[in-house]
Amino acid sequence: MAGRPIIEIENLSHTYMKGTPMEHVALKGANLFVEEGECVAIIGHTGSGKSTLIQHFNGLMRPESGKVLIDGEDLSNKKVNLKTLRQKVGLVFQNPEDQIFEKIIGDDIAYGPFKLGLPLKEVRERVKWAMSVVGLDFEGMIDRQTFALSGGQKRKVALAGILALKPKILVLDEPTAGLDPRSRNELLDNIKRLNKEEKLTVIFVSHNMEEVALLADRVYVMADGTDVLNGTPKEIFTDKEKLQRYHIGTPESVQVLYRLTDLGYEVKTDAFSITEAANEIIKVLACKKECSKHVQRI
Amino acid sequence: MEPLIRLENVSFSYKINEQTKVPVLRDIDFSIYPGEYVAIIGHNGSGKSTLSKHLNGILTPDNGDVWIHGYNTKNVNQKRAIRQTVGTVFQHPDNQIVATIVEEDVAFGLENINIPREEMRQRVDEALDVVKMSPFRHRPPHHLSGGQKQRVAIAGVLAMRPECIVFDEATSMLDSFGRKEVLQVMRKMNDKGMTIITVTHHMSEAAEADRIIVIEGGQIVMDGPAREIFKHKHELEQLQLEVPAVSQMAELIHNRFAEFSKDIIQESEFIEEVVKLSKEEVS
Amino acid sequence: MSSEFEISKRITIGQYVPTGSFIHRLDPRVKVFAFTILVLAIALNTSYIGNTIGLVLSLYLFWVSKIPIRYGLSGIIPAIPFIVILAVLQLLFQGQLFSHGKVYVDYGFILITSESIRLVVVSAVRFVEIIFLSSVLTLATSTTELTHSIQSLLSPLKKIKFPVHEISLITTIAIRFVPTFAIEMEKMMKAQASRGADFGTGGWWRIIQRTKETFPIIIPLFNIALSRAEDLILAMESRCYTPGGERSSYTTYQIAAKDYLALVTGLLFAILLFAYPFPI
Repeated sequence: MAGRPIIEIENLSHTYMKGTPMEHVALKGANLFVEEGECVAIIGHTGSGKSTLIQHFNGLMRPESGKVLIDGEDLSNKKVNLKTLRQKVGLVFQNPEDQIFEKIIGDDIAYGPFKLGLPLKEVRERVKWAMSVVGLDFEGMIDRQTFALSGGQKRKVALAGILALKPKILVLDEPTAGLDPRSRNELLDNIKRLNKEEKLTVIFVSHNMEEVALLADRVYVMADGTDVLNGTPKEIFTDKEKLQRYHIGTPESVQVLYRLTDLGYEVKTDAFSITEAANEIIKVLACKKECSKHVQRI
Repeated sequence: MEPLIRLENVSFSYKINEQTKVPVLRDIDFSIYPGEYVAIIGHNGSGKSTLSKHLNGILTPDNGDVWIHGYNTKNVNQKRAIRQTVGTVFQHPDNQIVATIVEEDVAFGLENINIPREEMRQRVDEALDVVKMSPFRHRPPHHLSGGQKQRVAIAGVLAMRPECIVFDEATSMLDSFGRKEVLQVMRKMNDKGMTIITVTHHMSEAAEADRIIVIEGGQIVMDGPAREIFKHKHELEQLQLEVPAVSQMAELIHNRFAEFSKDIIQESEFIEEVVKLSKEEVS
Repeated sequence: MSSEFEISKRITIGQYVPTGSFIHRLDPRVKVFAFTILVLAIALNTSYIGNTIGLVLSLYLFWVSKIPIRYGLSGIIPAIPFIVILAVLQLLFQGQLFSHGKVYVDYGFILITSESIRLVVVSAVRFVEIIFLSSVLTLATSTTELTHSIQSLLSPLKKIKFPVHEISLITTIAIRFVPTFAIEMEKMMKAQASRGADFGTGGWWRIIQRTKETFPIIIPLFNIALSRAEDLILAMESRCYTPGGERSSYTTYQIAAKDYLALVTGLLFAILLFAYPFPI
């Protein structure tokens, strides 16, 4: 995919509480490049600097040193219009349902568009669109009370609240944490659709490697405040030695395949889906059969 | 054997106001025996969390009874005995730590039941050891990772020396490493004879248990050995649940090679099956 | 360049600086007690010499506790406007009450005497001393130790049914949740800013607008606080907490020779400042 670069981060560093005993280096020399329309996952151990990094995307944090270019705009320039930037880069925090503050679903989703100063009609259109994208029934749900919703639905409302800004780039921090299997799958489908059909550039942080394997075109691995590895999920999850070094898990299916390779089986370890992994094992078992027949013939 | 926990026709509803009641649990009936490792699964809103709060008398049933070792949870005088028998680790690591220093938090429960200081020290040491948090004993809890905080919470419960620990979605806020840490502790304690009840919607976690109870609409819809439960893939899917990844893989392989068992729920079993089958073929 | 939202990193309540100094190692009860009587003695002292001694003493304590003095200064800087305004007001309007001194200025209602100048200078210096002293205490004592010592110092009040345990537990929990809520608030501000919220944009006279701007932060924070409190109550109950029940205590402190030494020194200074008739 040779698209236009939409996020370019070079040599970015950030230290919290500089000059105090609580000084803490969160980022040191991190790099990240995202092309328009890509879906990029950022993974890494707790404290590897992922959250600090993504907060640079919409100017919640300004570069202390290094370069941050968002859609061609240099964020070290103090004159950057933060409102436009935050509209362009929709950042969804972890447990976004916490930030719902209006009583009625529609009002909460409309908060962002109103803050942009859009006319009522446009706001309504956007709320309608955002609700349909996340799979909330506009007519049936818009006037419902927010507090009575289930966890999964609340998260949809919160996501719609960001989507109503019509961002070009959607950034999500642990989008599925705490959801049950069904809500999780629904949300993942939504994200996939936004990326593929609505052509949003998606960047997400996740601990769930199945999700990463399923969604991401490319993966960045963070450790100790810098990007240590990047590549397609296949490239990342087949680099067993580095996965261990940076304490990164693998999808369950890959883990099984790794254990089999440890036992001397010749299986490819880049099978992320259940079906692919099962096929790998079927191949091995089938080969054994073939081979043993062969042996008998001789 | 006498059950440790016995629920008899338990029903419970939340009262929104005088007129409106939302029924959450309906005629729940089961027993849990000492040393069991039980997973309670169900999607969000199925009533599993409300159920877990009945297991040590935090909530008491509207109808029916919950017996802990023959104590009825409705009996206010036996609350302390009940909570010393059944401890709970909750979902949010941050919301169950009371003190500003790790070891003092572990001691909180012991202070409440008036344990003498010397014994307290000994129990705190032991509990921190089991969860491997001794090196952090003097730290303030907000500097710990989620998995570490959760282990502190477990230590706080362990120090009370309960016979059973309920994990109420205790891993749902953790990353895969934090989850592994907590699961290891659970396994270790069960091996030592502790009764473990885990409320979860992670199927690979439920597969660790010996027995699974499936809740839907406030009722028990399935109750049996983990292996039996996971045979019902379609029913589980209808209940918005799934079977563990290895079971799904095993089924696919079974469709190709009938010899390959499809009743596999744990990773190690799966590996063994592959090894067994490939050896058979060669010989 | 830093972000405008970093509250959690700036929170200074319980900013314990562990240097392991003599002061750090003292029994916290002794520390709290000695600091309290010193602060009282300083508050009642109106002499130049007495307050010079107090100032030197508080600076000396910074040195002994190996805590950089800028921590103390950072407590004073925000208070400077307050100190200045207070000084000006005292200078202009308090003269009439101190007319017994030498008169320097007598113009209309403004009367400036040597005594009113003393009041102004001494008040300012006392303020600085008290901030320094309380900074040393809080920088060299962990919040846990502080609550323990307050609980222990208040324990005689149990006899009059004063809920000492409960109060100390409430304090501990409050302190325990300060960093948690700071993080929560920071996250909430960032999350709402991400969907276009702005804070403190209107001038301070546009109170209604500014109040409205805080709703997206305050309402969710309130909800979070409530649900956390609910969780916490469940967790405490599950661990056999009964309000008013008999409890044992995990932490104990042993008073050692160095504590007596510190206590006696503190008392001597307090008596000196309180009772000695300083010439000026």
